[in-house]
Amino acid sequence: MKARGLAALLTAGGVIGLIASFVLTVEKMALLKDPSYRPSCSINPVLSCGSVMVTPQAEVFGFPNSLLGITGFAALTVLGVLSLCYQGFPRWVWLAAQTLLTAAVVFVHWLIYQSLYEIGALCPYCMVVWMVTTTVFWYVSLRNLAEKTSWGKKLAAFHTGGLALWFLAIVVLIAMRFWDFWSTILS
Amino acid sequence: MSQKTARRARAQQDAARSIKAMRRKRWSANTKLTLGLVVVVMLGLAGLFLFTQRGGGSTADAELVRADSHRLTSAADGKVTVVEFLDFQCPGCGAMYPDAERIIKEYDGRITYVVRNYPLPMHNHAQAAARAAEAAGVQGKYTEMFDKLFQSQQTWSAETETPLATFESYAQQLGLDVGQFKSDMDSQAVMAKVRQDVSDGDGAGVDGTPTFFLNGQKLSGITGYDSLKSAIDTALAR
Repeated sequence: MKARGLAALLTAGGVIGLIASFVLTVEKMALLKDPSYRPSCSINPVLSCGSVMVTPQAEVFGFPNSLLGITGFAALTVLGVLSLCYQGFPRWVWLAAQTLLTAAVVFVHWLIYQSLYEIGALCPYCMVVWMVTTTVFWYVSLRNLAEKTSWGKKLAAFHTGGLALWFLAIVVLIAMRFWDFWSTILS
Repeated sequence: MSQKTARRARAQQDAARSIKAMRRKRWSANTKLTLGLVVVVMLGLAGLFLFTQRGGGSTADAELVRADSHRLTSAADGKVTVVEFLDFQCPGCGAMYPDAERIIKEYDGRITYVVRNYPLPMHNHAQAAARAAEAAGVQGKYTEMFDKLFQSQQTWSAETETPLATFESYAQQLGLDVGQFKSDMDSQAVMAKVRQDVSDGDGAGVDGTPTFFLNGQKLSGITGYDSLKSAIDTALAR
């Protein structure tokens, strides 16, 4: 992906993730004010952020995870806008981005595991965050790898293929985990 | 004349070839891999889905009455068993409700009347309503919730969002533990129960609601009190 494309992707990812985290925080506050409140994203027993938001996994560090999202995605948006305007960031900027995004993607996949196998529900806004984080991590990693290694360049030639494989793996896990539920809905 | 046609044909062929070449160029190996992956996985999931659907709907293990099915009244002799597959949101079931109530009252103890869930996909709140009734059943108030849902069918059916708050208020009115009711509604056990009802219905040939079975035979032409009563009377006289 060209530098400009990556910049646009970072900006878009930052904005989308920011909106999702912001909405989640607002919903969380409404839920705290009134425990019987039904969040806008509680659609059915499986697609339900209400049941996800009240779990301990939703505040791993003692505060709602969505606050991490607001912080991180705001920073990502700034990085995206700056890289739309300027080229040739110092190397440490990309290294810092890589480090933080790696932490973020590990955290997100732990949350995916928790959501699927411990909580047993999916929260739509959280899934938006999963997708954005994974996509941004993937493209920043490809950029950094392609800059330094030859296999990174080869991998970058199949950028959407790799990402599709990643997403489809999660789609298959979700389909399998809630198979019975999807069959009652669709049959 | 013929030379002109030939030239035109050749020009067309060239154009077609260059378009094809352009197209080939646009679909890079990456795009092909991506689309290929998506298509393969989606087809795989869809195929598996259809396959298990058909397997789940097999008549072999379908039963009209299970041990945990709800009986609104029971006859000790077990001579006549009526099974109704219903959808709490279906207007036809709502219209049948007072008639069925009358039958149950009149034949109390002389027939067994079983109700099973068959929420239709076209009714957006039918699934939730079925789970609400089952969740009330966990606390021993199935019949009460059943009545409540039918008596106020028009109220909750008209809601745009899933009427969970309304169901919870019914649970409260019936004196249920609302917290438990909420978690039961979302529980695997309740979902499995509804699913079992639907798959038994599929296996028995239910294709709409309400569908009645009398001693295992599917009844047709049940439109209200009179038709159901005469079917029951015939069976009782046998």
